[in-house]
Amino acid sequence: MNNTTHFFLLVKISIIAFIIGAISLPSFLELASPFWLLSFFIYWLIYSNGKSVFTSAFILGILLDVLQGGILGQNALALVLSSAFILNVKKSFFISNITTQQVYVFISTLIYLITFLLIHSLVHGFNIKWLILLSPITSAILWPLIRILLAKLKE
Amino acid sequence: MRLLKFFVPVFLSIILIVLDTRFSYLDNFKRFTLTLLSPIYVIVDLPSQVIDWVNDKGADNDTLISENDYLKGQLVELKVRLQGYNNLALENLKMSKLLDSSYKIPNHDAKLAHVKSISQSRLSKKIIIGKGSNDGVALSQLVVGSEGAVGQIIQITPMYSTVRLLTDPTQHMPVKNSRNGIRGITKGIASSENGMIIEFVPLDSDVKVGDIFLTSGIGNLYPSGYLVGRVTSIDDTINASFLSISLQPTQNMNKLELVLIVKEKNE
Repeated sequence: MNNTTHFFLLVKISIIAFIIGAISLPSFLELASPFWLLSFFIYWLIYSNGKSVFTSAFILGILLDVLQGGILGQNALALVLSSAFILNVKKSFFISNITTQQVYVFISTLIYLITFLLIHSLVHGFNIKWLILLSPITSAILWPLIRILLAKLKE
Repeated sequence: MRLLKFFVPVFLSIILIVLDTRFSYLDNFKRFTLTLLSPIYVIVDLPSQVIDWVNDKGADNDTLISENDYLKGQLVELKVRLQGYNNLALENLKMSKLLDSSYKIPNHDAKLAHVKSISQSRLSKKIIIGKGSNDGVALSQLVVGSEGAVGQIIQITPMYSTVRLLTDPTQHMPVKNSRNGIRGITKGIASSENGMIIEFVPLDSDVKVGDIFLTSGIGNLYPSGYLVGRVTSIDDTINASFLSISLQPTQNMNKLELVLIVKEKNE
C-alpha cells in the first residue's frame, strides 16, 4: 500500500471508530466494550509502513478527547503509549496466529486502560466503575471479528 | 529519531492534560474541533430519526386521535393547576409588598430539546441534546426534565450541546432543602447509576430521610427552585464535620426524551 492508501484507510477506520464509540449503549455494555479507536488503530498499525504512527495516534486521541468531552490529551497519551507497544511487537504480530494476536491486543488495551484510569484518577479522584476493567478482555475477544470487518473495508 | 517521534506526542499530551485541567486556554480549540466533528452525532442519530419518521408515518388515525384526546386532557389539568400557582404567586407578591421585601419570584426562559444520545464516555455521565449555539444555548445553563433537574450544559456546537448529568461524579450543584432552606452541594457517585450525595451540610443540621432538595441558585449559575432529589439516607459517622447525605434524583436519567434548557429572564 502506498502512503495515500494508508492515509485514507486510517481516515475511514477512524470515522467508523468514532461513530461506533458515539452510539448509546446500556451502561454495563458501554463500560465493558472495547476501546474501539485503539482496536481499529492497531489494525491500521500492523499494515502501516511505520511512518507518522505516533503523530497519527496523538491527533486521533485528541479528536476522541474532544468528541467525548473528556480531559484533552487523555486518550491521546493512552493511544500513543499503546501504539508504542504494538509497534515494538509489529513483526511478531503480523506473523502470529490469532490467539497470540489477541494476547497482544489484550496487553495493548491494558496499557491504554491503565494510562486512561491513571489520568482520570489524578484529575478527578479515584471514582471508577469496576466493569471498565473488562474492556481489555472484550477487546481481545472481539479482535478476530474486528480484523475480519476491517479487512473487508481495506479491500 | 524514533525516540524523539515517540516522546514529542507524549510530552504534548501531558502538556495538554495540564493546560486543560488547570486553565481554559483550550476551550476555543475544543469548541472549534467539536463543531467539525459534530456530523458524527448526525450519523449516530440517523437511525433513531428514521425510526421516528416511520413511526410518525405509520401511526394510524385512531391512535393519533386517542393520543390527542389524552394530551388535551393533560393540558386542561395543567392549566387548572397553573391557576392555583398564579394565585399563589399573586399572594406572594402582595406579601412581599406588605413586608417591603425585595424578593421576586424568578421568571425563567425555557427551550425544549430532544435527547439525541446518552453518554459517549465510560467514566462520565452525559447526554447530547439537539439544540446548540444556533438556538441560543450557552455554556453552564441548567437542563431540566419533567420531574426535576437533569444537569448542566458543558459543551456547545451550532446544532448540539453536551449536558453533564447531575449523577456524574465531577458535576457539583448548589442545593437547598425545600423544608428549611439548609444548603449543600450535590455530587454524583461513580459506582451508582442513579445516586448522588450532598456535601458540606454541618453535622447538627435538620435533614430527614424523604426531604426534597432544590436548586438553590447560589452563585447565579443556575436558576433556583427546580427539584433535584429526595434524601434516601443520612450518615453522621463517616465524616467528623459534615453529614453524609445520599440523594435519589427526582428525574429518572434513563428515561429522558425531552428536556428543557432554562435560564433566568433578564429583567
